[in-house]
Amino acid sequence: MRHASFIARTVFVQNNDVEAACRVLNRILGREGILEQYRRTRYYEKPFQVRRRVNYEHCKALYDEDMNRKIQFVLRKNRLDPFPGCS
Amino acid sequence: MIVKQVFSNLKNLSYFCDKTISSFQKRIFHSTSYYFRDVVDRREMLRSLPRPDEGTAGERADEIDLMMKEEHILFPTKDTPDKLFDGIRFKDLPIFNIRSSRNNTIISLTNNKGSTELIRSCGIEGFKNTKKGTNIAAQATAITIGTKAYNRGVKTVRVRVKGIGPGRMSSIKGLQMAGLNIISITDNTPVSWNPPRPRKQRKL
Repeated sequence: MRHASFIARTVFVQNNDVEAACRVLNRILGREGILEQYRRTRYYEKPFQVRRRVNYEHCKALYDEDMNRKIQFVLRKNRLDPFPGCS
Repeated sequence: MIVKQVFSNLKNLSYFCDKTISSFQKRIFHSTSYYFRDVVDRREMLRSLPRPDEGTAGERADEIDLMMKEEHILFPTKDTPDKLFDGIRFKDLPIFNIRSSRNNTIISLTNNKGSTELIRSCGIEGFKNTKKGTNIAAQATAITIGTKAYNRGVKTVRVRVKGIGPGRMSSIKGLQMAGLNIISITDNTPVSWNPPRPRKQRKL
């Protein structure tokens, strides 16, 4: 489905700050994976490359999830002022 | 005695060698330099080079996420097309279309219906070959076409960019330097999740 032009993927420029608007737009496109998909489809990706990439992404997601959980576990706190003397 | 003989033999041999080499126009062979080269692999060299400017600054910047949460950044709404900018409705504003690729940047001015009024590219501007694909060329082109548009009476515009390349951000900056008031920036990069088979990969 086509999106309405000038509604989708549009950012308004505020205070004549074009660069900031560009960066916000790029960030949104990057986070949605649109730029990544664009770059990937410039050249044909062979099936073995697809398999390797997908497996890698799979493993990385698992690792990241576990690592985040570990970090949260180490950083857990159960006191009124979580970091005494730092406020 | 034997030593003397060997010496003389060596002398003869070296003389002989000299003669043969001079007859072959004395070529110098380097057998060690290959192993002393800094870069052995071309891929490695390419990896060590700085990444080319793609006009996608801020793509991976996490601080922008925080900024977007805190500050009020304006995005279009349902009522945007009828909103007035300098007395013109948003949907009636002229459009600057920027097509940026790795090797060139093409900028065209169209009215709100989409018919072209001005067109200019880095090639027309006078940049040739690899110089076309630089952000400086894109900015110069944008300033030229922006000034032309300004003289025609186009003051308030919206911008639509397509593709990633060095001219993606710098051409927008150039348009602003020409004195135009840019209302919005839209991305119109064609991206498909089930595209036809692209060309084969480049051999590096």
